[in-house]
Amino acid sequence: MKPLLCCANLTMRFGGLTALDSLDLDVLEGEILGLVGPNGSGKTTFFNVVTGIYRPDSGNVTFDGEDITGLAAQEIYYRGIARTFQRSRLCLDLSVFDNIMIGNHKALHLGFWHNIFKRREFKAEYELFREQATQLLCALNPELADRILKPVGDLSMIDRRRVEICRALISRPRLLFLDEPSAGMTPDETRQLMDEIVALDTDGQAFSLVLIEHEMEVIRRITSRCVVLNFGRKLCEGAYETVTADSQVQEAYLGRELEE
Amino acid sequence: MMRQMLAFLSGSAGCIVFALAIIVWLHVFLMAEEHVPIFICLVTVVGLGVAANMLKVTDAVRTSLAEHERLWNLCALAVPLALIWLFREDHYNLFLIGAIMVYAVAVLGLNVQLGYAGVINFSCASFFGIGAYTSTMLMTGAGLPPLAALLLGGVMAALVGCILIFPVLRTSGHYAALVTMAFALLFKVFMDVNDFFGGPQGITVPPMTLFGIDFSHNMLFGDTELSFYLRYDLLCLLLLGLAFCFVRRLERSWIGLSMDAVRSDDTASACFGINISRWKITAFVVGNCLSGLAGALYAMMQAYISPANFTFSDSLLFLSILLLGGIGNMWGVILATVFVVLIPEKFQVIQEFRYLIYSGLVLLMIIFSPKGLLPRQPRSYS
Amino acid sequence: MEMELLLQFCINGLMLGMMYALVAVGFTLFFGVLDVIVFSHGDTVMIGSFSGLSMYWWVNAYYPAMPAAGTAFLVVLAAVSVVVLLGMGVADAVIVPLRKAPALNTLLATMMLGTVLRESIRLFFPDGSNPHPFPGLLPDWSWRSSQLTLRFDNLALFCSGALIIALVHFIINRTRLGLAIRAVAQDEEAAKLMGVNFRLVVLATFAMGAGVAAFAGVMNGIYYNEITFGVGLLLGAIGFSAAVIGGLGNVFGAILGGFIFAFLQTIGAVAMPFAAAYKDVFAFGVVIALLAWRPTGLIAEPASKRV
Repeated sequence: MKPLLCCANLTMRFGGLTALDSLDLDVLEGEILGLVGPNGSGKTTFFNVVTGIYRPDSGNVTFDGEDITGLAAQEIYYRGIARTFQRSRLCLDLSVFDNIMIGNHKALHLGFWHNIFKRREFKAEYELFREQATQLLCALNPELADRILKPVGDLSMIDRRRVEICRALISRPRLLFLDEPSAGMTPDETRQLMDEIVALDTDGQAFSLVLIEHEMEVIRRITSRCVVLNFGRKLCEGAYETVTADSQVQEAYLGRELEE
Repeated sequence: MMRQMLAFLSGSAGCIVFALAIIVWLHVFLMAEEHVPIFICLVTVVGLGVAANMLKVTDAVRTSLAEHERLWNLCALAVPLALIWLFREDHYNLFLIGAIMVYAVAVLGLNVQLGYAGVINFSCASFFGIGAYTSTMLMTGAGLPPLAALLLGGVMAALVGCILIFPVLRTSGHYAALVTMAFALLFKVFMDVNDFFGGPQGITVPPMTLFGIDFSHNMLFGDTELSFYLRYDLLCLLLLGLAFCFVRRLERSWIGLSMDAVRSDDTASACFGINISRWKITAFVVGNCLSGLAGALYAMMQAYISPANFTFSDSLLFLSILLLGGIGNMWGVILATVFVVLIPEKFQVIQEFRYLIYSGLVLLMIIFSPKGLLPRQPRSYS
Repeated sequence: MEMELLLQFCINGLMLGMMYALVAVGFTLFFGVLDVIVFSHGDTVMIGSFSGLSMYWWVNAYYPAMPAAGTAFLVVLAAVSVVVLLGMGVADAVIVPLRKAPALNTLLATMMLGTVLRESIRLFFPDGSNPHPFPGLLPDWSWRSSQLTLRFDNLALFCSGALIIALVHFIINRTRLGLAIRAVAQDEEAAKLMGVNFRLVVLATFAMGAGVAAFAGVMNGIYYNEITFGVGLLLGAIGFSAAVIGGLGNVFGAILGGFIFAFLQTIGAVAMPFAAAYKDVFAFGVVIALLAWRPTGLIAEPASKRV
């Protein structure tokens, strides 16, 4: 399999803190990659650098053969990378549909004339997207489809996570970043959500997924490969079993958990 | 009994009942001249509002509004028309009705900026003033026809907005607030010291003429003499209607959605390809254009303008209307404009105390009910 | 002669700058601790002038034999105590309840509060809608040459202004209270967990800011020999501008901003090709341009964005 995303020698500093330290990381086409490591090891910073929120101090990011280092977040989205956020960043007072449509930005017709005066065409476009959003929601939780015009603020935590995942998926990205989708949920909910995500992957179009997760059980069940970060460096990579067997990893991160 | 009544009100009947109630109440309120009846009117409406909220009548009305929107739009048009007709000979009340409509247009503009795109603007009254002064100067100085001057007033406000938006875009939060605030203060002082624009004494504004009809003369209808403000009111209603349709379509489109996204979370917006500057600029320019148009029409209707009409306090007044009505809710904007314009006018005795009472009320409102009279509802795209 | 004229403008500019700096310090203190802009601060300054004036009237009516120094002391005392109480009341009733509200709401609320204060003075102070002469309080010694007048009271005011700012700086950086204030400014939750009495810190900060404002109010009265109810709006706008162009949350930035604004006004009044009346247009125009150039003020606060 050829790599979809190549990061070479990425370094990101915040004042005196080096959040990413010459990191090399590849994501292969169609794989589910688990990104693990202790708090502050640079996992979210990695997402932020790749998606264009931060500009790396040095290093290169190549996506599908093109250099995307330092591009604006908007450009990177248009090239097919979508993400969710560690602390849910939904617009709570907007409806479920509105939030999903924010993720669909590249498909929307944004012309003034079209939006204000050609209402008939606009409505047709709206109906189409409404149908797409409903289908996507049904794949995760059919009940959500009935609440599509309700504000997201009224939903439970797991449903908000689902909406956030729909928002990232509606644009059919080639690479999806999920930043701790289980945060704030019970273990049961996490399991449920992960099953849904895996199911999505198998029946939809192929996309690569990078998952930041602290629940090692989740990582074990769904990822095909893991990368362990520590202090912004790659400690080790490979299958779950390989990684967890690594003594360095046990020392840095898993430690006593495995001894039990 | 109660349930039947609620069902009745949530249908199309609710709309008609509501519209009739508003016509009757506004008519009585505008006719009232003694303080006791004015006070009774106000107490009645507050009481009715509280009771309606407790008895879930507001929910019924909301359902009716969502399901019979076309009928509501018609009624919204019928209410001012009915009032204009009822007061056809009354200069003063017709002027008030016109002022309400013009102010509502300006606040709708502010609503696009602040309510949708979240662009802070403490200089709404200045853009209102730019529209007013531009159209006046174009008429008196360049001899342009009033309609063209009116439209160019809006264009000029939009253009000045295009310049001011750059420092606003570069800054955020309180820094952006200061940029617009400084502009409001600067505008007022500039108009005060500048002789070209009439200085602090102000200038008289030529009347509107449209299709050869001079708007400054009364007209005869049968054997009743109709107030000249009637034509202005119809023009105001036209402007308000167009502005309302425009802003609503804007809200219910991908443009409105993008603006909402920019307001609620710029990081997330950027990660989904939304061009933040584009929507902030659009909102600021559109909003200022509406304020400018409103200002130009207001100047013609009032026939006289001076810098005292466009102070920083007036900008605060526009902002307060938006906050009172409920940020983002267009019906709320209109409702709040009605109260904010009428109440000080009707209470001549408290005229002296009006700023005090009024700012105190807004202060309490912000502390205890920050969502305003009519909180914004989730978007529908119909 | 030209030189002396220039010096005279410098002296006036420095006086104005000190006054603006005192107002701006309040803005920046409140912003630092609670992340709010208290726009009514300018009107607080105005209340300070009027409280001082009331005390002067009272002394004159009941103890006309009071020595000048005693009167001056009582005037400042009255201004400071009224305004400190007012500031703490405002903090408790308006600012703390609105802490979690959107920034716009807080800003608008404090603007409304400013209007309430202004209108209250206009309506309820005896003859409040007209300007009132303000007593000189300090001996009117002065040193004069053909063009230049160096007044003792100006010098005294300037020095005490500098002293007050130094005192604020000392309190913030060298006392336990200052430590608590800085802790709350950095991280409110963490400070609370460490046993800092949040309400007390807020009240103390507001008392301190208000005390400085009261002094600025008295200074304003002495400098112009006259006070009006409406002066607060412009002073508030100027203080806010000064705090912002310096960089919010930074005491030195506020001082710098205050002097810059006074400098701009002076330049606009004397050194520009247009009439002196345009000085505020010029000053506010430059403020806008400065912000376009340095969007977070001249002494920039470190930008941090958590995603």
